[in-house]
Amino acid sequence: MRRTVLKAGIAVLVTAAACALPAGADAATRGGRMTYARYADSLFLDPVLNDANVDIWVLTNLYDTLLAPTRDGLGVQPGLATAWQTSADGKAVTLTLRSGVKFADGSPLLASDVVWSLDRARDPKAGAWSGSLASIDRIDAAGDAVTLTLKNPDPTIIPALATFNAAILPQKLFEAAPGATAEDKAKAFAEHPIGTGPFVMASWQRGVSMTLRRNPYYWKQAEDGKALPYLDELVFQVIPDDATRLLKLKAGEIDGTEFVPYTRVKELQADPALRMELWPSTRVAYLTMYCGPTFKDGKPNPLANAKVRQALNYAVNKDAVIGITTLGLGKPMRSYLPSTTPLFHAQDLYKYDPAKARALLSEAGFPNGFETSILSLSGNADEANNLAIVQQMWGQVGVKLRIEQVDNATRTARYRAEDFAMRTSAWTNDISDPSQFTSYAAYYPNIHSLHSQWRDERVDALFTQSQQEIDLAMRTAQYKEIQDRYAAAAPIVFLYETPYPVAFRKQAQGFVQIPLGNNLFEAAYVDK
Amino acid sequence: MNRAGLVAARLLQIVPTFLAIGAVVFVLARLLPGDPVSAMLGDRATDEAVTRLRGAMGLDEPVWAQFLLFVGGIARGEFGTSTAMRVPVTALVLERLPATLMLTALATLLAVTIAVPLAFVAATQAGRWPDLLIRAVFQVGLSSPIFYVGLVLLTVFAAGLRWFPVGGYGTGLAEHLHHLLLPAVTLALSFSAVIMRNLRASILGVLTAEFVDFARSKGLPRRVVLLRHVLRNALLSTVTLVGLHVGALLGGAVITESVFAVPGVGRLMVDSIFARDYPVIQALTLVLAVIVSLAFLATDLVQMWLDPRLAR
Amino acid sequence: MRGRAPLLAGGAILLALLLCALLPGVVAPYDPLAFDYAALLQPPGAAHPFGTDQFGRDILSRTIAAATIDLQIALFATTGPLVIGTAVGLLVGYYGGVADAVFGRVVDLVVTFPFLVLVIAIVAVLGPGLGNMYVAVTAVGWVFYARLMRGEVMVLRGQDYVSACKVLGYGQARILLRHVLPNAARPILVYWMTDMALAILLGSSLGYLGLGAQPPEAEWGVLIADGKNLFTQAWWVAVFPGFAIVLAGIGFSLAGDGMADLLDVKR
Repeated sequence: MRRTVLKAGIAVLVTAAACALPAGADAATRGGRMTYARYADSLFLDPVLNDANVDIWVLTNLYDTLLAPTRDGLGVQPGLATAWQTSADGKAVTLTLRSGVKFADGSPLLASDVVWSLDRARDPKAGAWSGSLASIDRIDAAGDAVTLTLKNPDPTIIPALATFNAAILPQKLFEAAPGATAEDKAKAFAEHPIGTGPFVMASWQRGVSMTLRRNPYYWKQAEDGKALPYLDELVFQVIPDDATRLLKLKAGEIDGTEFVPYTRVKELQADPALRMELWPSTRVAYLTMYCGPTFKDGKPNPLANAKVRQALNYAVNKDAVIGITTLGLGKPMRSYLPSTTPLFHAQDLYKYDPAKARALLSEAGFPNGFETSILSLSGNADEANNLAIVQQMWGQVGVKLRIEQVDNATRTARYRAEDFAMRTSAWTNDISDPSQFTSYAAYYPNIHSLHSQWRDERVDALFTQSQQEIDLAMRTAQYKEIQDRYAAAAPIVFLYETPYPVAFRKQAQGFVQIPLGNNLFEAAYVDK
Repeated sequence: MNRAGLVAARLLQIVPTFLAIGAVVFVLARLLPGDPVSAMLGDRATDEAVTRLRGAMGLDEPVWAQFLLFVGGIARGEFGTSTAMRVPVTALVLERLPATLMLTALATLLAVTIAVPLAFVAATQAGRWPDLLIRAVFQVGLSSPIFYVGLVLLTVFAAGLRWFPVGGYGTGLAEHLHHLLLPAVTLALSFSAVIMRNLRASILGVLTAEFVDFARSKGLPRRVVLLRHVLRNALLSTVTLVGLHVGALLGGAVITESVFAVPGVGRLMVDSIFARDYPVIQALTLVLAVIVSLAFLATDLVQMWLDPRLAR
Repeated sequence: MRGRAPLLAGGAILLALLLCALLPGVVAPYDPLAFDYAALLQPPGAAHPFGTDQFGRDILSRTIAAATIDLQIALFATTGPLVIGTAVGLLVGYYGGVADAVFGRVVDLVVTFPFLVLVIAIVAVLGPGLGNMYVAVTAVGWVFYARLMRGEVMVLRGQDYVSACKVLGYGQARILLRHVLPNAARPILVYWMTDMALAILLGSSLGYLGLGAQPPEAEWGVLIADGKNLFTQAWWVAVFPGFAIVLAGIGFSLAGDGMADLLDVKR
């Protein structure tokens, strides 16, 4: 077992070393500035205390983790640790720290920084993400080796060390930040974060723009032997309006932008001055259904019957939805897990069959259909498109859908209060392991299975077992069963997976977005 | 009552209005479904995370305690910290205010510059084709939704012809003006139509008034009559209109700033409502109320200066 | 060329829109909700004069069908404020006193609040949908009618014929309803016409923000919002509904101007 893991570790190291270098063979231009437009600003740049993608996806440019996700998002490669080894019983992980790493202010990275950062990250009182490191009992440092002693074997600990919340912060600088409590210090430090990442914050005008400049002490090297990043400056501009972002891109005022609406992808692909990039993602779109026996107001819930939920799935022509909303850029969900998740098990889910849908509805006691409603996000064109099609198709089997467009806070409030019939939903993985989404979607004790009140005790038991199962074959079998049971019970309407649509001017290159969503600018450059 | 006394009295009047607005917005913000925590933590938060954050933000305190904190803060000139952006609200508002003020000032300037001369032409040519043409064009401007006009202008003049940058604000006065011209035109479009209509009617009214006939009967040339008597009285109604419309302009700025990505308080207000950012919503409402009240006061003062009879 | 022309022109436009609103099935060539996967994003042409959208729905038919919602907005968003505002303005203007002082404060309060922001907030509180939009607009809009009415009534109050009525011993109610109200009503009716155009603009702004009419109801602002992202490749999806809004606005304005001339109202 130990030898297998060791061999695996070395193999990953070797291939990862190759992956760590920029893929392009052209000589990258050094210097200059890249301007990238985002749809929303970051909120709080602290790896432990934040929650939003708008923060997570940017943090990897400021901070490093011990292990880094591979470019395909499925594995890990060396980050601040050059080697790692799991013990035979799976209850200890030893990592060797990279030597000579400095923070952006020039101070050296110490093993004590690693211990302190991880202790902070796993503190259950701090932040919502501590669970990913909950199996750690104790962290010890000796020389350049850091040893994590686990309470129980944990198959998720390696991916967890590559997740944003395990980023390494400079203990001395953090504690020197103004503020009486740890929270205050965190707030103050997050205004001027110092990490080991390729960039460091230069200025931040909230809601308008964020300017990062090159970290002269960054440890990663480019192909030419000199340190990354290529860029001197990276500017994030905040432009919420899709149409305006694209107008700016076409006018050459910005170098790149995220979240290109699907309707514009073909147009940008045809533009010789631009380059459309479709990055494989872990992003899935689906409709969450409330499965409890009655609604909050006491009325009986037709969706409590699994046959009804299956019928609703059969009644939707996923290919039509994909064709119209994503213009063919998406593909059908084959499980509740995104296909780029480890231990993903593909199934054919509910091929379009309106006759079968009607039959199932009759069996469930709704031969004439029923009325239901869905909460969707106002101003979101994709959701509006999806629901327009779904509404029409369900109408054909007698199910009348009322669409309620609300703002984000309202939808979240009703969702958490479990006061909804259906809602539009999306998910991206933050950690390269199936346990994260499963704990939200299928495992009842966490958030009642996406606040749907769907409960399958076998699935709960399987999940608990899998959290300590380090034998890959066993764990794969457990997850296969979880995914099979979930698909049969259909607590959600499975829609589609879509890539991340980003667009750049031809001269702006080197950007990488991994399936977890992290935006990596370390090897980005702008040709003159 | 002399003028100074009047001004003082009006300034004092702002205070109770101010307090009333503060109370109304405090309650209204909390009536919005959800709260800052549900807006911030999103779908994946567990119950403990939510409870912890709510406690940290003081949202579990009884409402009256929160209100007292709020009022006390205002008295000290502090508006708290933004829940969404975690920066002091005062700094945030002061950062965003100039863009909106510049936008509305530019829009007003453009509107007046376009509307006033054309109103004179329309009034003096009343019934003939220049009048009809002017009224028709302004009619279209009045009936066009702001977001529609903005989108078209942005696509044609900024992205298409590249005469203007595509939204944003720029750095430095020259760039500000360049970036704000299209949004200011968008805002000015319907505003200028209102000014033009009102001014034209007002001029027509004055032209037929008795004292003009009287002045002309004294042998004064037509031009002098127009300039001296008509101008002053017509300007009076325009000033009134501009002052009264400040509120509407600020409302229009909300949508314009969204379309053109201008970092002003209009967009901040909408963002804060969606983020349930109570401190910012409260602070912005009060700031906007003060601006509008001051605009009314200024309008009254200019009115009194233009027509001493109004200084009661 | 004053006289009847504006009133006739405005009336004609409004009549055409009313026809679209009342009988969309008759006027529109296609079912506005019908998807046509074979004709996605067609430019304006013989089969579809206004083109089609991303689902193949005919834009002309959707624009015509939207007239129903938008004219409803024009009516329902203004009638509440009209009735409430007129009643309050009448009473406050005639009786004055404490009520008038309180009214003055309320006006200050409402007028200093940015209108759009207030409406957005109220709609966010009550939930999306047109019904709640009407509530929001009524809650705020009555003030403008009341203020106008109050002004008119205060002028009339001092007029000779009102004193004459009092001398003749007519009851308050009769004086108010049969003498003051009809005379004060004229500028109110003219303002009402303009307000209807403004209501459509407000409704479409809210539709644009996603807070107004809910899908799949077609409303001109919602149609423009749908077309916003397609603007550079399928301009027709947003442009034609925009024309409809402008046309409606022109119709109401001309009708308002014509009515003002007809009723001999100084604007």
